[in-house]
Amino acid sequence: VSPPLPAALPASPVVAQIDQQLVDRLIEIVGARRVLHQPSELLTFTADALPSYHKKPSLAVFPGTRDELIAVVRELARRNLPFVPRGSGTGLSGGALADGAVIVGLNRLNRVLSIDAENLLAVVEPGVVNVALTRAVAAHGLHYAPDPSSQAACTIGGNVAENAGGPHCLKYGVTTNHIIALTVLLPDGEIVTLGRADGEADGYDLVGAFVGSEGCFGIALDITVRLSRNPEAIRTLLADFMTLDSAARAVSAIVATGIIPAALEMIDQATIRAVESSIYAAGYPTDAAAALLIEVDGALAGLEVDVATIEALCRDSGARTVRVARDEVERTRLWQGRKKAFGAMGRVSSHLVVQDAVVPRTKLPDVLAKIHRIGKDNRVNVCNVFHAGDGNLHPNITYNAADPDETARVHKAMGEIMTVCVEAGGTITGEHGVGLDKVPYMELIFSPDSLATMCSLREVFDPGRRSNPGKVVPVHACREWHAAPSARRIGSNA
Amino acid sequence: MTAVAEGVEAIRDRVRDAARANAAVRIVGQGSWLDAGRPVSAAGTISTREYSGITEYVPGDLTMTARAGTTLGEIRETTAEHGQWLALNPYGVDDGTIGATIATGAAGPLSTFFGRARDLVLGLEFVTGEGVVARGGGRVVKNVAGFDLTRLVTGSWGTLGIVTEVTIRLHARPEADESFAVRLPDSGGLDRVRRTLRQLPFVPYSCEIVNAALAERLLGTSATTALFRIGGNREAVRAQRVALAELGDVREIDASVWDRLRGVEPQQALVFRLSRLPSHIERVWAEANALASRCPGAMLHANPVRGVVRCVIPSASPDCARHVADAFATSTETIRLGERLPMDLWANVSPAATGSDLAERIKRRFDPNGVLNPGILGGVA
Repeated sequence: VSPPLPAALPASPVVAQIDQQLVDRLIEIVGARRVLHQPSELLTFTADALPSYHKKPSLAVFPGTRDELIAVVRELARRNLPFVPRGSGTGLSGGALADGAVIVGLNRLNRVLSIDAENLLAVVEPGVVNVALTRAVAAHGLHYAPDPSSQAACTIGGNVAENAGGPHCLKYGVTTNHIIALTVLLPDGEIVTLGRADGEADGYDLVGAFVGSEGCFGIALDITVRLSRNPEAIRTLLADFMTLDSAARAVSAIVATGIIPAALEMIDQATIRAVESSIYAAGYPTDAAAALLIEVDGALAGLEVDVATIEALCRDSGARTVRVARDEVERTRLWQGRKKAFGAMGRVSSHLVVQDAVVPRTKLPDVLAKIHRIGKDNRVNVCNVFHAGDGNLHPNITYNAADPDETARVHKAMGEIMTVCVEAGGTITGEHGVGLDKVPYMELIFSPDSLATMCSLREVFDPGRRSNPGKVVPVHACREWHAAPSARRIGSNA
Repeated sequence: MTAVAEGVEAIRDRVRDAARANAAVRIVGQGSWLDAGRPVSAAGTISTREYSGITEYVPGDLTMTARAGTTLGEIRETTAEHGQWLALNPYGVDDGTIGATIATGAAGPLSTFFGRARDLVLGLEFVTGEGVVARGGGRVVKNVAGFDLTRLVTGSWGTLGIVTEVTIRLHARPEADESFAVRLPDSGGLDRVRRTLRQLPFVPYSCEIVNAALAERLLGTSATTALFRIGGNREAVRAQRVALAELGDVREIDASVWDRLRGVEPQQALVFRLSRLPSHIERVWAEANALASRCPGAMLHANPVRGVVRCVIPSASPDCARHVADAFATSTETIRLGERLPMDLWANVSPAATGSDLAERIKRRFDPNGVLNPGILGGVA
């Protein structure tokens, strides 16, 4: 199967008709400075952190309070206008782009509403920045566990929408494992409570259904998150290998022991060289084919045993050197190289596409070899920096978007990489979401019936399909559902 | 009439027939919980028990895909050969099927560390009330492709779809896995256990505080006792044991205690859970004890990490049922969650799945003819 290129994307189905009356009404709700409608003002909001897509919103509005947000969404509902909820715009799937729709910016709703350190809970507004929440609970010896690389800028609301991950989710789980309850503003303006924060919940897992719905089910007004206790001790190791294959085998060997590392990241040579030639230089050996950044944490007692086990397994798998960070300064430096790898690639080339696929861990050596081959065949520069512990690949390609030939080769390579991952039994996105970017690939992994079932769930939350239209599920998959009344579906053999 | 379905197509066809005829069906796995849920009014039954077998297991991936009728016992045996396990030990016995376990969102003592069914299921296939075969999630450990049908269906008690296949996350067995008992003062001291655990730098695999009646059954000692299960490398486990000694004399016990706890309830028992935030565990324990004092032999166990007290009233005699009904009739902030209750008591537990319009709308969308397990979660479901 050869997936269609992103150029074949269906256009977003609805465009908001903006008139002065709407602008006036929104200004009445949020104030003149918080409604942007001039093309120059909207420029910032035509892209997210994935620079290959640009879409023009018709308007952007930035409510500052819960009541303002509710009033804005109800006004849009009254006029039957499509909108796109947006946090910091750090997403990597084009999910927060608005093609003619109204952007509802949530950054100003950035209050931590309550902290219950005893029960490890916090209630936050959607615009709270991920790392700001951790900072707010640090005095209690707590943190918020999901840590996407963009954590200094991305918001909890955006994390909920994307079911964001991060290096430490190998041990601690992704966003959905840390959300207890939500108050949600449905696209029609109705307010619903999902889950419960006062004890064990029963019934349908509506929190589970909402997390990862990419803004298509409504907007979270407040979010109850589970906090995690800071580990007593942390050990960070860097192991470097002369082949990708031996590094991948070390990953499997570590996981098989029953030790669950807090993080287990792989950085290949191309990435190492980009990082080492940037201001984020972390001291990674530039002649190594790959390095593993491994972290274990928890109780101090027994931690050194795990470190020794991991060190031995790395050496057995062919590691050239294994070094353990001596102090917090060295640890921060080792992590900085990993977390800023994408930034470092910015120096190499003007444009970067970031892929996000997951393969079964045992397929890593095979898939990495195939990705390498695809890069060579298409004459593109593929870098791999990824969450190896859970098989979550991030092949990145740097290129010059002004060169149409190179751009075409990049898209071709990306499509081929995705096909290889799917054929290996994997999935098309592990943490970045489907957004606009992955819509064409959805049919590679889901049957028309599965996609139609997803559409039908969406339509319970948003019957008008006005919230983040055109994202996640190919539009025609939903039309199919509409075209087939249930009575006929039952009788047919489809 | 029991239709033993042989494949997903057979299950799909049975659901289509049922939907066409507007004839409700009860969905069963092993059938061991037939008297557990709320009364289901259904003419027929669809069993997934014969649709069994592990379809994919690559130990190095720590994932397994199995058909719904595969028993927990088979999964336990197969994974044990590779030093792995499905870290989910729901109440009941290992005859139970993985399909029913996921469909009921079941969890047991291991949930303290490993989470509940929702945290361990990676993907599933199910048949909707319209006879549509759909899949959510996938076979890899991390996946955000598409809306999360997997978590929606997990714990929905078959009311949104019949689970036919699941992919689950496995864990490698730790080097050491030990169980301990610590006798607590007669006054209980649950909050002390909770506060101690809150401060210690580790989370135990399991922590259940059992009342005297349950301790008598499990250990032969009639005293409130905290049961712990801890795992990791030997040095870590040794240190954890020392840390737990802060709570009292630590006595090593056989790990079989956990399976005995899982299987402690007789068929006729009344079983329910009471829950509030963990910091209120003493209050919930007191409420449970007040009730237990009126029901001879009542067995209670509390999880101070999750903030849950599970109550097993062995006799469903009219007297006991009346005491439970009286207790349920009183107003409290405590959440009540039913497991096995007589028909008339269900009305008094927390409103469950269909407590919200949104849940009802989802039910109608996935099962427009209302044929899947009607009534099992109350309301339209």
